[in-house]
Amino acid sequence: MSNAPQTTSTERVSTAELAQHDGSVARASLPSKQRRRRTAWSGPLEIAILAGPAIVFFVAFVILPVAMAAYYGFYRWNGYGPPTNFVGLQNYVVILQDPAFLQALSHNAFIVVASLVLQGPAAILLALLLNRRMRGQSVIRVLIFVPYVISEVVVGTGWSLMLQNNGALNGWLRNLGLGALAHDWLADPGVAMWTLMGILTWKYIGFAVILFLAGLQGIPEELYEAASLDGASYWQIQRRITLPLLGPTLRIWAFLSVIGALQLFDLVYIIWGQYVASTAGTSTMASYMVTNGRNAGNYGYGNAVAVVIFIISLVVALVYQRFVLRRDTAGALTERKAR
Amino acid sequence: MKARKFLRGAAILALGSIALSACGGPSGNSSDGKVSMTLWENSTTGPGLEFWKSAVADFEKANPNVTINVQAIQNEDLDGKLQTALNSGDAPDIFMQRGGGKMTAMVQAGQLMDLTDKISPDTKKVVSAGSFKAETYQDKVWAMPIAVLPGGLFYSQDLLKAANITGAPATISDLEADVEKLKASGVAPVALGGKDAWPAAMWFYWFSLRECDAATMQKTADSKDFSDPCWLKAAQDLQSFADKKPFNDGFLTTSAQQGAGSSAGLLANHKAGMELMGAWDPGVIASLTPDQKPLKDLSWYPFPAVPGGKGDPAAIMGGVDGFSCSVNAPKECVDFLNFIASTPQQVAYYKAFNAPPVNSEAQKSVTEPYLQEILKAYNAAPYVSQWLDTVLGQNIGNALNVAVVDMLAGKSDPQKLIQTANDAAKKG
Repeated sequence: MSNAPQTTSTERVSTAELAQHDGSVARASLPSKQRRRRTAWSGPLEIAILAGPAIVFFVAFVILPVAMAAYYGFYRWNGYGPPTNFVGLQNYVVILQDPAFLQALSHNAFIVVASLVLQGPAAILLALLLNRRMRGQSVIRVLIFVPYVISEVVVGTGWSLMLQNNGALNGWLRNLGLGALAHDWLADPGVAMWTLMGILTWKYIGFAVILFLAGLQGIPEELYEAASLDGASYWQIQRRITLPLLGPTLRIWAFLSVIGALQLFDLVYIIWGQYVASTAGTSTMASYMVTNGRNAGNYGYGNAVAVVIFIISLVVALVYQRFVLRRDTAGALTERKAR
Repeated sequence: MKARKFLRGAAILALGSIALSACGGPSGNSSDGKVSMTLWENSTTGPGLEFWKSAVADFEKANPNVTINVQAIQNEDLDGKLQTALNSGDAPDIFMQRGGGKMTAMVQAGQLMDLTDKISPDTKKVVSAGSFKAETYQDKVWAMPIAVLPGGLFYSQDLLKAANITGAPATISDLEADVEKLKASGVAPVALGGKDAWPAAMWFYWFSLRECDAATMQKTADSKDFSDPCWLKAAQDLQSFADKKPFNDGFLTTSAQQGAGSSAGLLANHKAGMELMGAWDPGVIASLTPDQKPLKDLSWYPFPAVPGGKGDPAAIMGGVDGFSCSVNAPKECVDFLNFIASTPQQVAYYKAFNAPPVNSEAQKSVTEPYLQEILKAYNAAPYVSQWLDTVLGQNIGNALNVAVVDMLAGKSDPQKLIQTANDAAKKG
């Protein structure tokens, strides 16, 4: 064994000491006379020690890959060896003219809207229901939240087995004498997208419910008391107090939902495999990227698609923050106070 | 206090993971003459996986200084993972080689070991020069062939008998008549793993082989131009065959090889009459029968003739499965490849996979009638084409796979299919 570990351990001790000592310095409860003066370097050093590792990881695993994708996107490259065939913006021209990509983009747009419309109201109602004391509350909570916890791969595999032509759902319908309702849930282009929406709603509504429940906890009890003293009905209270005060939570949830919908990949890939998502009408921009990038061995093209997805997501995120989240984040992300 | 404990735990975890990853270590020669190598193959279950484990054990016994780690990777995942590994400079030493355009790309990127002068005289005695042709690029050999896998129609004798079908169909219209008979008998006529796309595309490739002559195929492989009318004709043939609804219900979401509901599983469980596949199919079917034994009534016939086609009706399409060494692999890698091409290992290979071995001595011990049929057709074929998606390269092959599925699902037509093939050249 070399001495290396020992030196790191002493270093670690000194770091710990330093952190402790800084902690005691920062404690405002000390009388000011006893407070030691900060040395000029301690501020930057503190920032470096506390934020350094996170910044290093963020640059290595987020910033750098984004830059590399932008670089590869200018090449025609089959993924073997370094890229040499520079084609400029050619990949982007092909992407924006490819009907399959535009179709995938429209599917994403549909999923964004449908997620908000399907999950939002249902999640608010469930949260209101679960916010009252009632029997079986914890059971219902668990049932709603479990799908969100299960991994996408398990969910996708399970549903795709159940929804196959000779799967459990059709078998169940036929046994109930509802054979007329049996359907090719996954392959029929008219139905497949709604099947996907059903699975997405089932899976992600738990997340929305938990967020809204947390938001409801934050609404002061006095408001409800005052309202009921004034003779407001239950629904009036929900409409005039609960919903407006849930606003910030709702807006943040909608933001996360939109970004998630733009980047949807795993469930589509698991259920429809590598090829048939576009045929079934459930392809997303991310599944298009894998089909036309990795599977086709067109790594340059795939990276260009990644850049397009990145730009679309970024624009949506910025616009949303600027106009929708402005009141919630005034001063934190925006410069001027919102009026 | 709690936080500090947690942090300490996290630090230990982090350090531990770093230490663990260091244990993985690079393969290759270590200072004490010990060699360790990794092997990637695509058989994840049953006797196939057992074959690789025992082949490696036998080799390690004969070469005590060598250890080989076998990694089984699901067939559909293998190509992507392999490409990532090759590019990251952390490639497996020995890996499955599909040949064609993919092999060409690896050679051009300098990722494969040149085996031309390293194939032992013993191997050359039992593996024909023709088999090496599939693994040759620019007059150099880049992989060791281990199995010949021609395609054709695998069928259940019992189900065809039950449908009053006698003998193999000579032409496509005979096959269409058989489809009607099978439908009347209450089973799915033809199993198709549409979810994986390539099994669907295989139908188009076979029609192309019957419609286009060998020279046209080669010309298109070089130019990526599908303007010769024979390609459109092949797409139209497939369309009119598909209009007879020969495939199992829900073929679009049926996988090729995974589970009893896959197309191979449908054949293994007597739910479908036949399947167009390569010669690895018997092994896959065997792993999906209720008792996981080879299907007793399995048989094979070649793809029927298409009247008026320019291709030779006896031409065969199929691949040669091989194994390559990565460019930085230790020299023992080639010893292992020569070892798995040897007669005893090839006999074991055939028994494990129910697939025709490449070794001419080992071929003599093939007893299954359907494999003898395959070998007979293969050895009598005027020419053997590689799988078309291999010949045309990954980009066009992938586009065609998707386009064929689209057409079979009724979302496009033959003209559009050819258009897609022509357009794909823009992306890669």
